[in-house]
Amino acid sequence: MLESFSNWLAATALSQLFASTSWFVPTVQTVHILAIAAIVTAIAMINIRLLGVVRRGPDLPHIARSFLPWVWIALAVLFVTGVLLTITEPARELQNGTFWLKMLLIVALVLLTLLVQRSVRRDPGYFSSTSGRRRLGAAIGAANLLLCAGIVAAGRLIAYT
Amino acid sequence: MMVWLESRPFAIAIAESSWLFPIFESLHVLAFAIVVGTVAIMDLRLLNVANRDRSVSELISSTLPWTWSAFAVTVVAGFLLFSSKAAFYFDNGPFRLKMVVLALAGVNMLVFHFVTGRDMVRWERGAPPLRARIAGALSLTFWVTIVAAGRWIGFT
Repeated sequence: MLESFSNWLAATALSQLFASTSWFVPTVQTVHILAIAAIVTAIAMINIRLLGVVRRGPDLPHIARSFLPWVWIALAVLFVTGVLLTITEPARELQNGTFWLKMLLIVALVLLTLLVQRSVRRDPGYFSSTSGRRRLGAAIGAANLLLCAGIVAAGRLIAYT
Repeated sequence: MMVWLESRPFAIAIAESSWLFPIFESLHVLAFAIVVGTVAIMDLRLLNVANRDRSVSELISSTLPWTWSAFAVTVVAGFLLFSSKAAFYFDNGPFRLKMVVLALAGVNMLVFHFVTGRDMVRWERGAPPLRARIAGALSLTFWVTIVAAGRWIGFT
């Protein structure tokens, strides 16, 4: 089914227009990477704080307020540029196991980030009130940092698999 | 010299292995993302666009250590990638552009630290003066160009 969908997509006029425009893929990939820089940095700032290894500077609710909007804006840019790249070369992404692994890791990171956002909005001290909550925060922080690194690596590895 | 570098054992290992290059490339992109992201945090503050509630010096002292650590990783990983095809990259137009703009970004940073930003204590809690905004705008422009040139290398 994926194969027939990706063949159909590759045959559309839009896909052929993008694929035949030499500057299209590098330009869209450049925007994609700039959005990666924004989201990786924002995710790192939030989750290093959640991990509890850095104690200087603003607290978690403050960091979450300044950096969460960047996560969602960058995610929107990544989605749009990602869709454009997929339209251009459907088989490269849709028929690639690494691409689907990347999508799975993204879903996990987004769900955990939404969980953090909701918890901190309802109770700014949610992840610092008890030692159990601090451990929960540290576990989520570590998971998110690993997911983020895994997503970037998987994204680059799509070109080789 | 490029041919000498290419013939080092580690360079040959990277060139011949099917997974070393992608692994170092992933590391290069990940660390580079942190460099660009943390630089942008400072630039956007200088442009008075984001993080207006934090003073410039506080933002720089909490962000710059991350920038430099990530930059060190980016350079080491980048050097290893470069060594595997040194002669090719050395002659590559986008690669040369990337190095030139990287140097410009460095000069812009030095000028800000030693000249235009020296009186930071006078304005760092409010809106930065025009010369600081120019430093921020130039820095953002340089780093966007570095990303674009870097991505272009893969298409040449």
